[in-house]
Amino acid sequence: MRNDDTLMHVRGTSQFVDDIPVPGCLHAVLFTSPVAKGRIRSLDISKAVTAPGVAAVYTHKDVPGLNQVGHVFKDQPLLAVDAVEYIGQPIALVIADTRRNAKKALALIKADIEKLEPMLDPRAAAAAGQLHGKKRVQVHGDPDAAFAKCKHIFEGRLASGAQEHFYFETQRALAVPGEHDTIKVYASAQSPGAFHHHLAEVLGIPMHKVELDIRRLGGGFGGKESTAVWIVAPAMAAFLLKRPVKLLLERNEDIATTGKRHAYEYDYKLGLDAEGNILAYDITLYQHAGACADISTAVLGRSFLHVCGSYRIPNSRVTGLSCRTNIPPNNAFRGFGVPQGTFAIEAAITRAAGVLGVKPEELKRRNLLRDGDKLPYGVVLSDVNAARCWETLEEKAGIKVRRAAVEAYNKAHTDKKRGLAVVPVCFGISFAQTALNQASSLVHIYMDGSVAVSTGAVEMGQGVNAKLRIVAARTLGVPLERVRVETTNTSRIPNASPTSASTGADLNGMATKYACERLRARLIAFAAGALKAEPAAVEIKDGEVLISGKPAGFGWNKLAKDAQWARVDLGEHAFYATPNLHYDMEKEQGRPFAYYAYGASLTEVLLDAVRGTYTIEAVDIVQDVGESLSPAIDRGQIEGAVIQGMGWATMEQLRYAPDGRVLTGVSAYKVPDIKFLPAHFDVTLLKDSTNPYAVCNSKAVGEPPFVHGIGAYLALADALSAARADRDLPSLPITPEKAFMYLHGGGK
Amino acid sequence: MTSFILNEKPIRTEERPGMTLLEFIRGVACLSGTKDACHEGECGACTVLLGSRQSDGTMAYKACASCLTALGDADGRHVVTVEGLGGEPLTLAQRLIVEHSASQCGFCTPGIVLSLTGFALGSATLAYDDAVTALDGNICRCTGYASIRNAAKALCAALEGIDKAPDRRLAALISSGVVPAYFTDIAARLAGLGAAPVPCGKNTVTVAGGTDLFVQKPEQLLESELCFLSRRGDLDYVREDKEFLRVGGAATIEDFRNSPEVRRHFPALAADLLLHSSAILRNKATLAGNIVNASPIGDAAIILLALDARLVITGEGGRKREVPLDKFFLGYKKTDLACGELVSEIMVPLPPSGARYHFEKVSNRTTLDIAAVNSALLLTAGPDGAVKDLRVSAGGVGPVPMLLPGLDKLNGRKPDAAFFNDLSKAALAAAAPIDDIRGSAEYKRLLLGQLMLAHGRALAPVEAA
Repeated sequence: MRNDDTLMHVRGTSQFVDDIPVPGCLHAVLFTSPVAKGRIRSLDISKAVTAPGVAAVYTHKDVPGLNQVGHVFKDQPLLAVDAVEYIGQPIALVIADTRRNAKKALALIKADIEKLEPMLDPRAAAAAGQLHGKKRVQVHGDPDAAFAKCKHIFEGRLASGAQEHFYFETQRALAVPGEHDTIKVYASAQSPGAFHHHLAEVLGIPMHKVELDIRRLGGGFGGKESTAVWIVAPAMAAFLLKRPVKLLLERNEDIATTGKRHAYEYDYKLGLDAEGNILAYDITLYQHAGACADISTAVLGRSFLHVCGSYRIPNSRVTGLSCRTNIPPNNAFRGFGVPQGTFAIEAAITRAAGVLGVKPEELKRRNLLRDGDKLPYGVVLSDVNAARCWETLEEKAGIKVRRAAVEAYNKAHTDKKRGLAVVPVCFGISFAQTALNQASSLVHIYMDGSVAVSTGAVEMGQGVNAKLRIVAARTLGVPLERVRVETTNTSRIPNASPTSASTGADLNGMATKYACERLRARLIAFAAGALKAEPAAVEIKDGEVLISGKPAGFGWNKLAKDAQWARVDLGEHAFYATPNLHYDMEKEQGRPFAYYAYGASLTEVLLDAVRGTYTIEAVDIVQDVGESLSPAIDRGQIEGAVIQGMGWATMEQLRYAPDGRVLTGVSAYKVPDIKFLPAHFDVTLLKDSTNPYAVCNSKAVGEPPFVHGIGAYLALADALSAARADRDLPSLPITPEKAFMYLHGGGK
Repeated sequence: MTSFILNEKPIRTEERPGMTLLEFIRGVACLSGTKDACHEGECGACTVLLGSRQSDGTMAYKACASCLTALGDADGRHVVTVEGLGGEPLTLAQRLIVEHSASQCGFCTPGIVLSLTGFALGSATLAYDDAVTALDGNICRCTGYASIRNAAKALCAALEGIDKAPDRRLAALISSGVVPAYFTDIAARLAGLGAAPVPCGKNTVTVAGGTDLFVQKPEQLLESELCFLSRRGDLDYVREDKEFLRVGGAATIEDFRNSPEVRRHFPALAADLLLHSSAILRNKATLAGNIVNASPIGDAAIILLALDARLVITGEGGRKREVPLDKFFLGYKKTDLACGELVSEIMVPLPPSGARYHFEKVSNRTTLDIAAVNSALLLTAGPDGAVKDLRVSAGGVGPVPMLLPGLDKLNGRKPDAAFFNDLSKAALAAAAPIDDIRGSAEYKRLLLGQLMLAHGRALAPVEAA
């Protein structure tokens, strides 16, 4: 079973927002702040208003409802009022007959902005107390006493960089006004419920007058989860002008003004006993959040819960700070803080191994999580698959043999060095915010037997619709082609949680399963009555009605038709809330996750020590996906996530000018291309894994494999250390420039 | 008036020739399968096939970025978008992408379909490595490429043994389901179009490949009168003439790279120029255009500087003059090309016996990226092994692509490790890079020094990999 949409994708017939034909559509562009921090003294839009083709120019004064799109906190105006906090912050909205005319009018807006000194350094922001939310501290065991007993203590600083989502379809939305002051919005968006709410709030109308419809996204990766600006702005214009309005960001605008994966800085202290057992870990996370909180505090929370990676750490102190700086507010990106949280412990253990002269994989294997281990937030683990993944990897990829080969190669070569790293993954599944772990599904069986499923899940290439079809078809007992998944629409599914945290199929699949089970029960009862059979003897399989396993003489389509005529309800709405989740933010204790997805990977690189360049030569991955609903889809998710993670760890680097401007446009911000893919790239789904906590015993797969990308960093660090071991390793990502300067640069 | 065939349909349009083909396809022709995602040829989502009728009556198709192709450039040609492949039944490339799950969100997929189809139509070898190379400009953010690689492999397997003779190839591909049957008549239909190119004049902007120009000033080009060198068949050649390789001003990087003359005399260039840009850009960008663009890190300029190329510049009334390439760059983005003049030919001296050439480029991403530093070397040694002549170019370390000065003093020496150490010192002394988006000044300076050592390693490998 493959992604439902592929047959259309290859024909070019899949419809994305910009492909919807809308006669008479106007085009909106944003006038944004050219300075990272400033006070708006005056704003003159008079020349723009009268420019050719311009329909309107709006400022904060024109917002009909609340001028606010803050996601977690109300700290983000849709259009700036008197202060600007980052370059790219929207100040005014220009609407014209063509995009070209709207852009020309932008140049006619005059803003007099007093420049103020921007804050661009997260550590300095933390020192100045410029934080989003509160500083979070969690103490597990007795870290101070434990450090006192440690034989070896390693301390230092680390950093990991930002990452641009580079979804192919940039931020965009189309708004079409309707009767009775209603509005329908087509958007490339991951959060139907939240954006629905933002739309109503900004327009100043009740939510039942707003319909948000989402067919599919040309990539999301978290970047379309929380920031509502580009959806709400065209909707406001359409609402005021009573004309359809479209807004879409050009690539470089999108890179320059939208949120990214957060860069982090870290202070760490890791303590080991004489045998190499981790006794204590102290970690401070400085999250570079940007000007508004957006969803940063939630991302930090997830980092916070994953600082131990896949390791048993009996004593820990975790401090988390979401630092307020004058860059565009950062947001969700595949992994949602987990890669950043995990990176620090991986780097710390690797450094410890280097100093102690032991192989990092020995230290990691020794401390790997197992049943009965207690995580810092109080969960005692069971069904831990960390060791099984590791042993499967050893079996298929030969960790020890490969390590020996790397060592032998490095002894024999000076111009080139090999490096290797094993990364275990342990990723908690559920929204860490307990309230979001809910979903509903609306299933219709029509009188011709065709089935339509609506949920709050958003299709963005991850194949959630295909998985929902499988769940519905399996549960109802009908062939796959009888089931269609509808658009994600707020008029059919209210208050839907975002499609993120890898939970799309888990939550919406479970709700769909419930709805289909009830429909099936009703149809079986009806069929039993009609056939004068015991309900227990009736089943529906592959579109046929069976009695005691034998065909009853009529199929699904007739069953639907007859049931409808007999006044059986063929529509069902079901709701699912993940049970037994709770978390106490004061005590930093609870059970935030329903279960954990495990994995292990081996990454091998070849470093050219003359040029500072490198090739990722081989990656072997073992990932625990439970009982996969679709191995083809799950493999695709794993492959895509790993390469994206490797991009974060190697070539993907955002650069900012001293004034806070993003310098890396599309010609300089490089993401992996086909030639970056390692010659050897092998994915194994862990055998005999099951999972009672998600639909059909499957496990979430969207984000966990991203963490394997850290292996590219660690393997490069390994190769760099083989070339010279007398200096501090570069921060993540290790670009060719950083590798080169480590090898050949001056200084320490 | 621009006349061409879009998929199966004849088009005659009065839209401005400087409109991008992408804007025409999506905005005017209302075909939404071609996606708009970067406007700089960096992603490949807008890939289309541009087919030209050849003098022998066959068609040559090339995958191009429609965001950097002018509508006027399509005049007299066949433009194929994903809609032009039919879809029912699926073509071979489409079917293999489906079978290998080589599509997730789908935004890049039409471009990948077109690049694979262009490979099937145009590749001389139909080998797997070439299929991957044909996809080197198609970024996919979802799949991680493993499934795309598998689809490409399956395509090569399916096309193995197919008749590649130019006059029979199209029929073979049609029967293999690579393209629909209507392709058969396209060459004849194009012959009847009677497209008439605009002559270059004083008030026209000359567009070579357009792949830099349309990144730099698309709005200005929309308003301008354009003259397209792609229509100058007389400038589209690569030929050997006595002691020179002569490359016409309209020859594309890819045609140059694949020409038998280049393969014979400069075999290393076939691989070196893969680092220049992606297939969808190499198919459009010209060697001459890359030089006239005068980027301080232009790969073509760096390579040709070392090879001691000369430019033939044609001015008004056909007046010709010759300029050595190392005298052509006058300052940052400033060249010795007057208004109304055109680089009509590049003359590359054939390498003397005993000459060895090598190219080095380091960029953040190995392929489809601009160099931090690049350098080419041409070293000629006498029968005694001593260096007679040494030319080393360096890009990214000054305002123009430069030749390292003062290398004469290295002549007469054996090109051993000490020789390259001294070359490295000379390079470090000559380098004057600045901090920019491609790297810090210190990085680029030190890197240039290391690349001199890399030249040495390449000429005399000291250790096997």
